[in-house]
Amino acid sequence: MHPLLTHLRGLVAYLSAWVLAGGLLALAWQPEAPAAWTWRLGFLLPLAVFTGMAALALYPVCRSFPFRPARWPGLLARRAVAVGVLALVSGAAAALWNSTGLRWGRDGLVTLPPPAWLALLGVLVVVFAVSALVHDALLAQQALQAAAANEVQARLMAREMELKALRKQLDPHFLFNSLNSISALIPLDPAAARAMTVDLAGFLRQTLSLGERERIRLDEELDLVQHYLAIEQRRLGDKLQVAVEADAACRRAWLPPLVLQPLVENAIKHGIRPLERGGRVDLSARRAGERLVLPVSNPVDAQAPRDATGLGQGLRHLRTRLQTQYDEPAVVDVERTADRHTVRVSLPWHP
Amino acid sequence: MTLRALIADDEPLARALVREFLAAHPQVQVLAEADNGLEAARSIQDLAPDLVFLDIQMPKLTGLEVLQLTGLRRGVIFTTAYDQHALAAFDLHAVDYLLKPFSQQRFDAAMLRAGQLLRTGAPEVERLVAAQTLARVLIRDGTELRVLLLDEVDYIEAQADHVAFHHAGRDHLKAQRISELEAQLDPRRFVRVHRSFIVNLRQVHALERTESSGHAVRLKSGKRIPVSRSGHERLLAVL
Repeated sequence: MHPLLTHLRGLVAYLSAWVLAGGLLALAWQPEAPAAWTWRLGFLLPLAVFTGMAALALYPVCRSFPFRPARWPGLLARRAVAVGVLALVSGAAAALWNSTGLRWGRDGLVTLPPPAWLALLGVLVVVFAVSALVHDALLAQQALQAAAANEVQARLMAREMELKALRKQLDPHFLFNSLNSISALIPLDPAAARAMTVDLAGFLRQTLSLGERERIRLDEELDLVQHYLAIEQRRLGDKLQVAVEADAACRRAWLPPLVLQPLVENAIKHGIRPLERGGRVDLSARRAGERLVLPVSNPVDAQAPRDATGLGQGLRHLRTRLQTQYDEPAVVDVERTADRHTVRVSLPWHP
Repeated sequence: MTLRALIADDEPLARALVREFLAAHPQVQVLAEADNGLEAARSIQDLAPDLVFLDIQMPKLTGLEVLQLTGLRRGVIFTTAYDQHALAAFDLHAVDYLLKPFSQQRFDAAMLRAGQLLRTGAPEVERLVAAQTLARVLIRDGTELRVLLLDEVDYIEAQADHVAFHHAGRDHLKAQRISELEAQLDPRRFVRVHRSFIVNLRQVHALERTESSGHAVRLKSGKRIPVSRSGHERLLAVL
């Protein structure tokens, strides 16, 4: 159904315009055998309203066969047929209505020679063709708006996915093991149990709140990493040592949240844990030209097979995340020597 | 009756928690603690404990691999924080496990159940272990226990009631029947090409014809392995 038909004020305005057009035409019209203007009005006003209503019938045609440049001949033909049929129907209606004048002993409401009837038919064709054009234009604009809304929707969804992916980085294995460690500490060292609870809460809170933001300062990320490391140090004891190196300028630089934390997590999971004596995780930040470079390195068991599962997936995930965040390339590369594994993230420098 | 126990977990605090909960079970005596899977396997073989508290995610060998490699099936109490893969396998075979963090009550219930199963045996653990494909084997290198990655093994040969794993020009013997081993291997990777031979497909260079119109497999190392008629069919089915 045409949208105007459910919109009363719009419909009234639309038909009023047609009535006005019919009235003006009746006043301006000077036919060969002139009837009084009242007869002309009697003929033209109903005809104008009828034509106005008939013009709306082009809406379903334009909507069902939206205009596509690739298929223009067929689409144009359909519109031409619709316009032609409507013009003939309206012309026939006009003739029928005119013949009601016979009742009053006249030839018709108005007397029209054949050329005038042809001219009327021509006018009707033009009116319906214009109606088709207007409908096409309005539908095209609606489609554009819908596409724009879709794009906004798609962007929102992408952002949502990103947030979900970030939440996933809260490794359940880590969380439950930490709770278990706290449970173990309670009778042994209540103060340490409390400190660990506070660290775990700080880590959770920061992961959740930083994940909501698009950019954070490196300082905030390092803070989160410190909470994480404090928990791991309590669990692993002397096995885990950490060295962090970042100057004040780097600490103020902006980057997406949770870039370093997963790298540190990997370094502990795949580097420190399997080593009997453990080792040191080195974490640093430096500026290289217009880039912020973040290397994270850990010792590895030189004899161990290189089948560090999970690491590959985590890095791929980080790479994709950074790609969606930056137009310029963000680089994640891996270097393995005999006994050390280094992951280096390089991001555009944003002071 | 005293129960001799082993606690295997890579986290000192997690081991301490088990010890604490064990205080309510004076019949249990803790023999040893292990902080990785290989250490756990060593202790199981050397000490033959009655009861093993076994964490799933451990360095070197996982808890399930420890069972696979030591043949231990009885008196195992699994502990794990979160490991979707392992938990799904436990549930599938109705194996009991302790989810960290757990309470003394839950711990006691697991002890009760394990105590009953000590007498009757635990067929569900048997099924659980049988369902896992083998990725590594435990071999004795002199007096040392070592882990051998099956991926790196060229081929496996039956020798009386032992199997020999050929890796980097050396043989590592293990007391096992070849058909039993075959059932534990990933069938897409390892094929029994002969009554006495299993080859690692990754190490295969070519399939050759012999003068007597039989077949043989040429390994990347240059070694030639005979292929029986049924072995040839199995090989073609996988390739």
